[in-house]
Amino acid sequence: MTRKILPVILLCIAPLALAAPPESRRDFIENIGEVPEEQQQAAPEQQQVAPPVLEDMETQGTDEQAEPWMEDDDLSFLDDDEEILEVYDPWETYNRGMFWFNDKAYFWVMKPVARGWRWLAPEPLRLGVRNFFSNLRAPIRFINAALQGKFRVAGDEITRFAVNSTLGIGGLYDPAKAHWDIEMQIEDTGQTLAHYGVGPGPYLVLPFLGPSNVRDGIGLLPDIYYSLVPQVFENRYYWIAISTDIINFLSIDKDTYEGIKRDALDPYLFLRDAYSQYRLNLILH
Amino acid sequence: MLNRLLKFLMMAVALSFTSASLAASSPTDDVRTSVDAILVILQNGELDVQQKRADISKIITKRFDFRAMSQRTLATNWKKTSDEEKKQFTALFSQLIESSYVGKIEAYTNEKVEYPGEKVKGKKAVVETLILTSSADIPVNYKLYQKGDQWLVYDVIIEGISLISNYRSSYQEIMKDEGFDGLLNKMQAKIDELSSAAS
Repeated sequence: MTRKILPVILLCIAPLALAAPPESRRDFIENIGEVPEEQQQAAPEQQQVAPPVLEDMETQGTDEQAEPWMEDDDLSFLDDDEEILEVYDPWETYNRGMFWFNDKAYFWVMKPVARGWRWLAPEPLRLGVRNFFSNLRAPIRFINAALQGKFRVAGDEITRFAVNSTLGIGGLYDPAKAHWDIEMQIEDTGQTLAHYGVGPGPYLVLPFLGPSNVRDGIGLLPDIYYSLVPQVFENRYYWIAISTDIINFLSIDKDTYEGIKRDALDPYLFLRDAYSQYRLNLILH
Repeated sequence: MLNRLLKFLMMAVALSFTSASLAASSPTDDVRTSVDAILVILQNGELDVQQKRADISKIITKRFDFRAMSQRTLATNWKKTSDEEKKQFTALFSQLIESSYVGKIEAYTNEKVEYPGEKVKGKKAVVETLILTSSADIPVNYKLYQKGDQWLVYDVIIEGISLISNYRSSYQEIMKDEGFDGLLNKMQAKIDELSSAAS
């Protein structure tokens, strides 16, 4: 079953990736890697404009500038290590449509079910379910960490998998973290591709899964396929397992999306930027 | 021991050159004071929601430099706006930042906060905090700069996501489509929406 579905998804996504003009892809990593701090500081902004004194007839405004509140501090030094992230989003119309769809799916279906599960199951059980699925993804995290040359992280993932699968009763518990302080790191194929210089490509909102981009969307395929979930659960049990994982995740989450909807002027823009920053941070660390 | 003495001497020398920072507290001290005070208010069962918000607002106003945040959010557009517009924007923006920040903190009222470290570079600093919850540890970093003998927050970074960068890119996009006035209108509408939901 899953073996049949995957090529279909791949076929759906691949043309999208090809449709993107390569030269217009922004390679965030490259941009950021090449800004030595000294260089930026070497160009101090000497734009401290002297008050445009007497020639200007409309000097009534200067009274206001004298107010302490109005003094314009030179805060440009705060921007030294600042990079401005612009997200390449040529498919915004489609993306906003899918965003709208996900919003409805979230509030009408997924969240009510997750609330029911939250009410039904005590938190330790739900954390156990999360740990269980997370443990099944340890092997693919190990592979991705190793491919990025993060050998310490890769070693940690192996240790975690061995310890948690046995002492942690099939991964339901996380003694590796609780007793040995070995923490899980988020490593996935999207980060591995970025490590080898693949740019994010166009921003892409995926059905149900939400914010992504072409690179990370393609990276999801091996991440899903080579997690142990399809090995442990076959056929229809696979889809039950995946749904359980997602619903369970939402039941633990502290209403992040509700908070974004409440605070942001435009939740679509908020998530688009937040996702890109979040991924960039993972890639750089 | 000798090492410590050396460090101390070096610090003393460095401090004597920068008179302003003589009495200064460390950035972590400043963040910790504010965060602790906010948590005490949130955990106080005797206050109603309105009172809590008002008290928290006082603490945040002292620690957050809303004007610096506004300036950085508008970036190049800051210089293009009039003083009146700057004032208007800062007033609206500070309410939105405050509400967003408090909303996030409120979700973690009963959790422990750790301070794993700080990095100070000249007049700038990053204070790392970690909110320990039953389900996950959430890294919240504060970017501060020194003004007089105080460290003021000019950005908050949650799980690698900078609040200010996020506002900046959203607001620039909105300004592109609807202009500065359109942005101000949207901000006002959002504030009205938030306050009507709170009461």
